[in-house]
Amino acid sequence: MLEIIGLEKVYPNGHHALKNINFSVPQGEFLVVIGLSGSGKSTMLRCINRLHDPTGGEILFNGVDTTKLKGLSLRKIRSEIGMIFQHFNLIPRKTVMENVLSGNLSRTGIFASIFGIHSNETKALAQKYIEIVGLKGKEKNRADNLSGGQQQRVAIARALMQNPKILLADEPVASLDPATSHSVMQYLKKVNEELGVTVICNLHFLSLVRQYAHRVVALKAGKLIYDGKPLEINEEWFKTIYGEDAVEVTIN
Amino acid sequence: MKQNVYKKPNVTVLTIKAIILDILAWAYMALVSYKIIYEKIIIDERYPEFAWNQPLYSLYAGALIAAILFFTKLSLGRGLFGLIKFDENESPSSQAFAYIGYLLILLTFITGFYVSQISLKEFLSESGLEGAKRIFKALFNPNWGIFQEGLFAAIETIYMAFIATAVAIPIAFILGFFAARNLMNGSAVAFTFYNVLRAFLNVSRSIEPLVWAIIFSVWVGIGPFSGMLALCIHSIASLTKQYSEQIESIDDGPIEAITATGAHPIQVVWFGVVPQIVLPYLSYTIYRWDINVRMATVIGLVGGGGIGNLLMQYQGQARWNEVGMLVILIAAIVWTMDWASSKLREALK
Repeated sequence: MLEIIGLEKVYPNGHHALKNINFSVPQGEFLVVIGLSGSGKSTMLRCINRLHDPTGGEILFNGVDTTKLKGLSLRKIRSEIGMIFQHFNLIPRKTVMENVLSGNLSRTGIFASIFGIHSNETKALAQKYIEIVGLKGKEKNRADNLSGGQQQRVAIARALMQNPKILLADEPVASLDPATSHSVMQYLKKVNEELGVTVICNLHFLSLVRQYAHRVVALKAGKLIYDGKPLEINEEWFKTIYGEDAVEVTIN
Repeated sequence: MKQNVYKKPNVTVLTIKAIILDILAWAYMALVSYKIIYEKIIIDERYPEFAWNQPLYSLYAGALIAAILFFTKLSLGRGLFGLIKFDENESPSSQAFAYIGYLLILLTFITGFYVSQISLKEFLSESGLEGAKRIFKALFNPNWGIFQEGLFAAIETIYMAFIATAVAIPIAFILGFFAARNLMNGSAVAFTFYNVLRAFLNVSRSIEPLVWAIIFSVWVGIGPFSGMLALCIHSIASLTKQYSEQIESIDDGPIEAITATGAHPIQVVWFGVVPQIVLPYLSYTIYRWDINVRMATVIGLVGGGGIGNLLMQYQGQARWNEVGMLVILIAAIVWTMDWASSKLREALK
């Protein structure tokens, strides 16, 4: 469903972040992207939903090249791609319900959204997703008063509210403790398996990768250097991806 | 990943800057020494003549001294731009070039003393003290007969400041977005607009409200309306700057997240930017009203209406008991506003 062909990204300051990236993601896959900080993982995810504009190559999303889109058609494609972030990026001072409803902005008129007018179906849908991520009863809490893991779950519910075909997760557990990390990963797994949403997830910990990924791609200095099964990443590959001095740290 | 390109400071450029600084510093010292130390203090001339060739000669003298001392340890410019090497354990303030700096400050102090015409003799003269006593006595015996008149004028001042702030808020709110660099660096057109707006705001902010009040009192006539307009212009410029700085310091995360949902740019601003700025905006706005009440008093002095206007009238007639009454009223308003606005802003945190 997603095909990346010869993707290039050069930042205005001359930094060559992505160099000729090629891979495709079939419907329903849980794909994990690994690599050192600065290897281009975040940039690649942001090129898919055009938070960053690629400087070359094509990204085919269900056959449509997203790199050429503008205005309304770009917003339409973005609405089909959910995204969650390392720092959750919820709207501060707003309730859980309001945050989840903000996932539906692309289908709400500008004035209706500003005055907070939502149809009953939309509200029922938001309620359903809040329950799916296990936050029933917290609808009226301020989102920024929740714990990190809970905030990330609100972010997942917000992304689900878009009814996405694909979910991008940019290091979703990097600022969470190990136990909470697993909980959030479990919800992503649930979204992938039960709702059939394709997931592309950037991760740091190989132990999480082995547990949740169907497939792994690795980036190093902007190049794709590994594409295969998580269990096939042995000591040798580990050293190639993370450098000679790296030691694997596990998270259980 | 950010690429760090470390640029080594260009020694030639630094040397040129150092030379210019040295010449100007010595020229300044030469001019001040001649005009103040020599003419005023040593030969005590009452009306020293000024000619434009004096600063010119000072510049020559400055250039000469700078040239002689430039390659010694006494070059202030080379010292400040880091071209003089000294032991790292020593503090820069104990270096030879620092003493040139101290000399500069000393000369400026002496000049300031003479320019301000500081004179203890006049400060403590008998007739002067007598006059001060008379005024203070009147001030401490306020004429309560004009309390009502003063109170109404004070109310006029408070409402004038309130309306000026209220009118400025929506305009500054909208302009604030256009004056925020992080929202306007998307395209060349937007960035040009940003720069033009910034320049315009800087100019209107650098004109004091007092000057605006004079302009408007000619334009719309003397009275509260001209004062209100003057405060309004100043408030728009100041609030826009504060609002836009607040926008520039927000977290990009929510903006990214809302953009990623496929929201319209207006929705991105409303949901990604606005919730982050509401409280600081309120705080700035209340503070601005507080400032405006104080400024409205001053603006009244040049015909902007309100209690300042009244103060000016009584002061012109040397009716110090009435002035005393007004001073008490002004102090009460300023104190109350100060207290209320700080309480309100604290509650908003």
